[in-house]
Amino acid sequence: MFVYFSKRLLGAIPVLVVVAGIVFALMQFAPGDAVSMLISDEASEADKARIREAWGLHRPPVVQFLNFLAKAAQGDFGMSFRYREPVMEIVLARLPATVELAMAATLVAVLVGIPLGVLAGARPGSIWDSLASTFSFAGISMPNFWMGILLILLFAGHWHILPSGGREPWGLGLDRITGFLLLDALLQGRGDAFAAALKHLALPAIVLGTNMMGIITQLTRASVQEALHEDFVMTARAKGLSAARVLWRHAFRNALIGVVTIIGLEFGALLSGAMIVETVFAWPGIGSLLVQGISSRDYPLIIGLVLVYTTIFILVNLLIDLAYTIIDPRIRIR
Amino acid sequence: MRTKLLPLLAALAVASPATTLKAQEPQGARIAVAITETISGYNPYSDPVVLLGSVWCQIYGCITRYDFDKGEFVPYLAESVTSLDELTWEIVLPEGLKRHNGDPVLAEDIVHSIQYLGSNPGSGKAYLVAGWEKVEALDARTVRITTATPDATLRDNLAGVAVTSKALFDQLGDAMFAEAPYGAGPYKLSEVAIGQHIVLERNDDHPLVSPSNPAQIMYRIMAEPEQRVTALANGEVQIAQSVPPQLMQRVEDLPNARIASVNSVEMMFLAMSPKTHPWDVKEARQAVAHAINREAIVRAILQGQAHLLNGPVSEGQIGFDPGFVSPFDYNPEKARELLHSVGLEGVEVTLSTPVGRYTADRQIAEAMVPMLEAAGFTVTLDTPEWATLWANVQQGNVPFYYMGRGSMIDPSRALHQYFATGGSPRIGFADPALDALLNAERAAFDPADRSAKMQAAISHLVEEAPAAFMWQHQMAWGIAEGIRFTPRPADQVNGWEVFVE
Repeated sequence: MFVYFSKRLLGAIPVLVVVAGIVFALMQFAPGDAVSMLISDEASEADKARIREAWGLHRPPVVQFLNFLAKAAQGDFGMSFRYREPVMEIVLARLPATVELAMAATLVAVLVGIPLGVLAGARPGSIWDSLASTFSFAGISMPNFWMGILLILLFAGHWHILPSGGREPWGLGLDRITGFLLLDALLQGRGDAFAAALKHLALPAIVLGTNMMGIITQLTRASVQEALHEDFVMTARAKGLSAARVLWRHAFRNALIGVVTIIGLEFGALLSGAMIVETVFAWPGIGSLLVQGISSRDYPLIIGLVLVYTTIFILVNLLIDLAYTIIDPRIRIR
Repeated sequence: MRTKLLPLLAALAVASPATTLKAQEPQGARIAVAITETISGYNPYSDPVVLLGSVWCQIYGCITRYDFDKGEFVPYLAESVTSLDELTWEIVLPEGLKRHNGDPVLAEDIVHSIQYLGSNPGSGKAYLVAGWEKVEALDARTVRITTATPDATLRDNLAGVAVTSKALFDQLGDAMFAEAPYGAGPYKLSEVAIGQHIVLERNDDHPLVSPSNPAQIMYRIMAEPEQRVTALANGEVQIAQSVPPQLMQRVEDLPNARIASVNSVEMMFLAMSPKTHPWDVKEARQAVAHAINREAIVRAILQGQAHLLNGPVSEGQIGFDPGFVSPFDYNPEKARELLHSVGLEGVEVTLSTPVGRYTADRQIAEAMVPMLEAAGFTVTLDTPEWATLWANVQQGNVPFYYMGRGSMIDPSRALHQYFATGGSPRIGFADPALDALLNAERAAFDPADRSAKMQAAISHLVEEAPAAFMWQHQMAWGIAEGIRFTPRPADQVNGWEVFVE
């Protein structure tokens, strides 16, 4: 297994180089100019030329890209034009916020979507089935930004029970150990901080997880229905096993492989889809950072972020492969 | 582990409501301000955002500031700023002025700050000190600046010069901004979360502050207007920048907040580049100025939240003439006559507008299209993404566009930039008569004389119509109950101008 994972990780390197090359090339073709966007509109042409030289933008694009690759190989992804800080420092400082949000959203989606899907699949045509279809189609079709603003208006603006945005209240005073606020609060035994962080996380996680919840519900429903018609289920019933045991132990477990694949793929999509939710909720993650980077043509930051996204996708896919072996003992990784 | 976690998690349910309330109430004299633009980092010289510039001035102290009550630039960090002759200025620091860490503020700090602004790659505001030939410290408290040409805008430029420590820079380099951000302004830097928020603490030793000013201020980025207003309603912020017209009534209806509006000093205009046809024809430009029904746009789209301009400036700005009325009233017949007189009826033009950059920009441009067509133009509307449009405007590649220009308390720099020959490629207008008038105002040091010369330049500019001047948006601020704050035309929230009641 170690060899398998090592091979997969090594195989990721050319993927990352190609992705960086594509992003770099796209940015060369994109209209707009980082210098125009990031210094005062009163700057003279001479000032712009000075800044362009300081940022290395006066060199031919191929030289810029090769310089980037050479430095990236040593772990230096350059300085953000806008924030004048090393790209990876900025990205890594904000990555936990996005991962924490995506994990919470996945949790919301799984905890709601799977039970609802199983119930609907086990009792087609029942009230549970109708309920699951309604919820899941609503979840899939509602735009994130619309739902986000609606929930902000209701929970923050009208009922005043949840904050409108941000990741933590001012003056929380929680030391960063892992960067994951919920975990850090638990590690420091800070129940107040855990509750405050949870309240800030609730709305963005629900909004981000709703679409995934709909997909999981639909897929689980179909997979369970299909599994319930398999021969092994008939055998299990013939052996006199209880309906619940047949459903959860046999049908559901066999339906899980497709669901886990979708959860993995959707987790990656959640990370990139978090851009809109992060912007609406002023959530300080890498999604909103990418939006800011693109709008200001902050090329080093954009490339750094895309590489981080790509790496996460690759790692998530590896984890899915690992999960298969746990769910289905017949699958072996070589 | 499980035995420790379970009681903790169980306790959360009990603790959580109180926690939220505590988190959302302003604690003591602590306020949060929801702002629209991002926070780039620690370097006070790199951030071009106006509001952030004023934040850095609160921390480090800038040499001058604009006093809206007096209507002039006054010393801020300096004790005095005096022009000795047309080309020579002297800045004197107060005796015993100290930084937040106790270090003295010296003349060499001002020299260093000006040099950093002018030539360091970390500076994005070199234009502020352009044309300053020599900057020297005469003694520990006195700095002399020699300019290449007479420059009456120097006090305005000094308002953007935050004075950082030369000694700390020599020791730490650019790391000083993050590791030793010791200024001499009315507030101290407490915390920066790049792209998220910046927190200041009151400097009780500073003469501008009083105990009723906030002890702490957080400037917190909230890009979405809905969120700024909701956060205000929810007590998460006490001041919300830029409430759009469609949300103003909601704020007015809140039991815990109100709206305060003020004219901005940002002129909104339609630029027409005479480098391109038909804008090389003066009558075509004047036809545009006659064609736009500004009153209708302000009433219907901006819901009254704008002030119509007769030129590039309005009351409170240098060069404003209350008796001056623009010759270009809304008159579509006159516009059509003008176009007909030069044989340009039906001429094809493309109007470019940003989307989401300015209040209702796209809707405004859409409303302008039929007005221009009624005057005889054939119009295509172009709505590129801001970065694309802005880069093209700066390169002079956009012939006809709707745009704003802020930082115009003293309009001289903006007028030179957009309308003087060689000022920038954005419009590419060249008119020796206007150049002479603009140079004359910049060389006039007596305020009354300068104002008169500026008025002459503006009158000529309006008549030549390289731009049709539209309006200044009224900037609406949401302000929580218990907070006394009078917004000023400049986009600033200075701690010493905020009072917690």
